[in-house]
Amino acid sequence: MQSLPGIATPLEDVAAWQRQRGELPARDRLTPDLLALAQNGATILIGAQLGGRPTVGFGVCCRALPDGQLRILLSRSGNANVLAAIAEGSRVAATFTGAPSHRAFQVKAERAVIGAATQDDRPEAERQAQLFCDGLTEIGFTRDLAAGWLALDLGDLAAIELLPERVFTQTPGPGAGAELPR
Amino acid sequence: MTALTLDGLRGSMEGVYASMLATCDAEGTPNVSMISQVHYVDPEHVALSYQFFNKTRANVMQTRMAAVQITDPATFSHHRLDLDYVETQTSGPIFETMKAKLAGIASHHGMDGVFRLLGADIFRVLRIDAVPGPTLPPAEPRRLLASTRQACAELAAAQDLETLLDGSLRWLEEHYGIRTSMILMLDGEEERLFTVASRGYARSGIGSEVAFGEGVIGVAARERTAIRIGHMTREYRYGTAITETARRAGLVSGDAQTIRFPGLSTPRSQMALPISGAEGLLGVLFVEDEEPMRFDHEDEDALAIFADHLAARIALFRREEAEEAESAEPESAPEPGGQTLRFHPHDQSVFLDNDYIIKGVAGAILWRLVRENRATGRTEFTTRELRLDPGLRLPAHAENLDARLILLRKRLEERRTCLSIEKAGRGRFRLNLACGLTLIEVDPDQGATA
Repeated sequence: MQSLPGIATPLEDVAAWQRQRGELPARDRLTPDLLALAQNGATILIGAQLGGRPTVGFGVCCRALPDGQLRILLSRSGNANVLAAIAEGSRVAATFTGAPSHRAFQVKAERAVIGAATQDDRPEAERQAQLFCDGLTEIGFTRDLAAGWLALDLGDLAAIELLPERVFTQTPGPGAGAELPR
Repeated sequence: MTALTLDGLRGSMEGVYASMLATCDAEGTPNVSMISQVHYVDPEHVALSYQFFNKTRANVMQTRMAAVQITDPATFSHHRLDLDYVETQTSGPIFETMKAKLAGIASHHGMDGVFRLLGADIFRVLRIDAVPGPTLPPAEPRRLLASTRQACAELAAAQDLETLLDGSLRWLEEHYGIRTSMILMLDGEEERLFTVASRGYARSGIGSEVAFGEGVIGVAARERTAIRIGHMTREYRYGTAITETARRAGLVSGDAQTIRFPGLSTPRSQMALPISGAEGLLGVLFVEDEEPMRFDHEDEDALAIFADHLAARIALFRREEAEEAESAEPESAPEPGGQTLRFHPHDQSVFLDNDYIIKGVAGAILWRLVRENRATGRTEFTTRELRLDPGLRLPAHAENLDARLILLRKRLEERRTCLSIEKAGRGRFRLNLACGLTLIEVDPDQGATA
């Protein structure tokens, strides 16, 4: 196996988690590394279950709240399926992937709460969208392709809030998917 | 039932964007991840790349359900597909196509060796939903159907095999703007192909060989399926493998007997399509470009039709040639002397002085012609007599004599030798000698004997 400088591995994720986890108060669910990854232009995927089948959506911005919850902003019209699933009480998964490192982690929650996007969500959504485009540009996409994929529409945002109960490294490579235990 | 069709979404399955994949376990806990490939299989099925045994895989095995979201890089439209698992394939055309594509994607992202395809998971598409959001209008459709009609008309008008093969590559450039291409023909019953026509390269590489399984060409031949990649990867490079003949013969002067493959030095897009018909595989049509993602599903459709027509024309010329059976009149023999033609029976290679010309069946044909000419003075020959000559050991099926004669003619011309062969009518050809020749058959044990 060969990896380029700057490309993460799952084993590095596990080591970083163990290093940082011991120093954190129990309330904090995620390490500084993972919080930084989630809030700086990561690709945010959301999974839920609707009518007995899996369903998928995506977010445009993530904000870590003081109580340990993650607030994920997503297009309301583009994620009607995910919002319907959450409204019905579905469990939720969210995966955050950074570019160009391909470092990724997934959180799982018993449920999430749906809310409206607020005025102060918007500048943060714009900042993270900018970083998202920068990251994709670094791995060879044009800016148009990156922005087109994200399709950020500030007038059409909803928010979901969830408490990460379990955390998994999702970085590609041997050991991918391993749980990062509390 | 929705009006959306999977065929209309093939642009979202070119692998430009990674796709999103969600599954659930039996308790309803979801899992969501990026997936490198959602591969179009047919109007009702897609295949997902199975690369690691992970939670996604466990969930699929447990619940047999998945959901993916795919994105069109031209319009930015997103679509969600509800999928039911059917089966996993670990070999065959779908698997090999995905494996080649995945290797390219991995290499593009600096992930060589991290992404390895364990299986192609086939899913039935239950439902397609368009995801609302801002999109761009689709681009003006390309005129591939009209181009294909014109290119196939050119194929139909070709009068002989050599015009057909060289013309095909010219028509690819004229009608599709594809500037670098080649045609390789099957080497009899061997699992190997040799280059018989090429266009757009610094050197022609006529006679260079590709083994089955080597690069996109060798995989396309082995699997009888089109292989197309949009990012180049070391795994599918040519020219590193030693040819099977050289290996078998244990040649020491390997380089002299190996004609280098002519391909681009930094190809990013490559596509290989089998040329096959009722007779089975005849050869491979290969195109490449330095631009990434140069060829899409539509190009593959167009060139697959072109390759099928090409196969039908080749088969037709073969049948016509085989029906001709006229013999030629003896003429006067030239004097010995001038240059030396050496024949090495162990690999049937022929050298003119120290210049390597050709080996294998084409080498044996050349040696037979010059010896016959020396003995009887004949310069005109028929393809039929070659077919019936047990000394040439032509395989009973797929002997490809016509392609071998084209290969031989081109090699003699490229090496600027004093020998040439030319067509002298249907099923007939002429050997021209512009110099005297000394003929030496090399005895591998005792050195040369005249």
